[in-house]
Amino acid sequence: MTMAPAKGTVNETVNQATGGAARPSASGLPRLLPPIPGVPEDVRTHLARYGGPPYRGGPGLLIGSVEQAGLTGRGGAAFPVHRKMAIVAQARGRKVIVANGAESEPASHKDALLLRAAPNLVLDGLQLAAEAVGASEAYLYVHPGVSHEIMRALAQRYAAGLDWLEVTVFEAPARFLAGQESALVNRLGGGPAVPTFVPPRVTERGLGGAPTLVQNVETLAHLALIARYGPRWFRAVGTADEPGSMLATVHTTSNTQVVEAEIGAPLRTLMPAMQNAQAVLIGGYHGTWLPIDAIDALTLDNKALNEHGAAVGAGVIAALPADRCGLAEAARVVRYLAAESAGQCGPCLNGLPRIAAAMAVLAGSGHHSQVRKDLERWSGLVTGRGACNHPDGTARFVRSTLTVFAPEIALHARGHCSATNRTPFLPLPDRMPLTEDDWI
Amino acid sequence: MSGSTVFWYASRATGIVALLLLTAVLVLGILVNRQGRLPGLPRFAVTSLHRNMSLLAVAFIAVHVLTAVLDTFVSIPILSSVIPFDSGYERLWLGLGAISFDLMLAMIITSLVRGRLNRTLWRAIHLLAYLTWPVAFAHSIGSSKDLQHGWLLDLSIACALIVVAAVIWRLASAARQLPRAARVAALLRQHGLHGSRQAPERISR
Repeated sequence: MTMAPAKGTVNETVNQATGGAARPSASGLPRLLPPIPGVPEDVRTHLARYGGPPYRGGPGLLIGSVEQAGLTGRGGAAFPVHRKMAIVAQARGRKVIVANGAESEPASHKDALLLRAAPNLVLDGLQLAAEAVGASEAYLYVHPGVSHEIMRALAQRYAAGLDWLEVTVFEAPARFLAGQESALVNRLGGGPAVPTFVPPRVTERGLGGAPTLVQNVETLAHLALIARYGPRWFRAVGTADEPGSMLATVHTTSNTQVVEAEIGAPLRTLMPAMQNAQAVLIGGYHGTWLPIDAIDALTLDNKALNEHGAAVGAGVIAALPADRCGLAEAARVVRYLAAESAGQCGPCLNGLPRIAAAMAVLAGSGHHSQVRKDLERWSGLVTGRGACNHPDGTARFVRSTLTVFAPEIALHARGHCSATNRTPFLPLPDRMPLTEDDWI
Repeated sequence: MSGSTVFWYASRATGIVALLLLTAVLVLGILVNRQGRLPGLPRFAVTSLHRNMSLLAVAFIAVHVLTAVLDTFVSIPILSSVIPFDSGYERLWLGLGAISFDLMLAMIITSLVRGRLNRTLWRAIHLLAYLTWPVAFAHSIGSSKDLQHGWLLDLSIACALIVVAAVIWRLASAARQLPRAARVAALLRQHGLHGSRQAPERISR
């Protein structure tokens, strides 16, 4: 499924920013998305807005700026970017960099949107990070839906002489775990996109044994801006602990949209149309439900959300309308998560279908109180026992469902349901994996 | 029994118990590998039992070795418990005991630091269990006159038959195992959750 890059090759003539682009005001959002929504950039508008990628002329030089900026991974784990970069930069020999756009959360659209709307910013970040760690191979791992735009952007960049390292575009299977770091490396190595145990971490032994830097595409876009405007500019928005802006996919009754928000922004400001919501799911399907009355006091940053057992994750925010059944929604999601288990680790393979079945019972009517107790126990049993955090994330989602929708559970136990609208709200793909081909 | 024979008897007794424990550990390990269950126990408890029983077996073997060394009836140097074929007494059979003890130590140590190890390496070393048990068994039968007749011989044969049966079951179970990608779907069906087309789903975007 590898596609030869349309063109795109080593070109070391561009070493300086092409210049000419005005420095945008620090607090101005959006930083990543085009100023006029819906109008995707091409390489000309990109260069006019940002200038060319400001190569530093050698490895290591950009990492200090990234550290000062305090950039964290935007793929969900919020891991400090400079730490991963430093590990790979220190290694000798062949090194690999991968831009991860395999956005596996069905409820997240931000990476796909970014890759369509601002592919050149992502590709700048990929080139700059590759230079900073001294990578000799660069990959872009995306879903088939956006690879056409990417190939076009790569061809334009080749013509403009922007890239110094050839980029190979690789298509990810439509699996929840496809973007997990070790699954990604397995897929790029020719195998199925299934996670493997760490250690070794991919930063130490990744693709073909080479130290591999995997960064989310949004992270790389931020990095491209830090390289241009510096850490101070980057820190002008966001909180001291979690600087910068982030893309979030916001689901409300009326619509689903990707917004670029300042980290630390009040959650309310992201969801103006949520007056009739009953609960908010933060962080996607490995995330946490929050009761609606907790939302007013909360902000979009891990420091605030962690106190409620939640995290921003990859920025999925879904305000569940008051007329839906939270248990029915959660049961559908957990069944999906169970079906997306890679089928490798016992606790995940055996535990998740069982948990999903119990969630389905809970979403039905007239269940026994034992079901809830079983769910709590099993959630504890699967946590921390897999090669990846799929069982942990699923257990987190289940636990917060049990807490936040406790009144609804009591209602269902007596044979009632408060919902008046049976239309599914949370988006889910309709095809579960059945054969090995579904994982490649 | 007099003071001079207490170590001798202790060594023989702990050796026999260790053989029983090692048999149980191997069978439990096969059960863990095949994700099998024991009646009334959840799967993770099978794993815990396997781990704890292996530590218990090592404790018994430590006493077994120590008492054999301390016993003055025959002279066995302490080093010959880990260095194969070092003992003057029963060179071959004690040598096999030392080999199996070394293999066990390798498995225990790699399992204790499993979190820091490459999984393939851990697994490769753990597969040595299938070598360790026969070597330990040969050591038991060869060096102990007790096990060569009577009910202790019957017990030894029973252990061997159990291990052979468990290994055959493991191979058969691995052969009829579903491909990785099909396992989850099969389990979901088993729990009454049929595929994902069961309920109408809204497709994202």
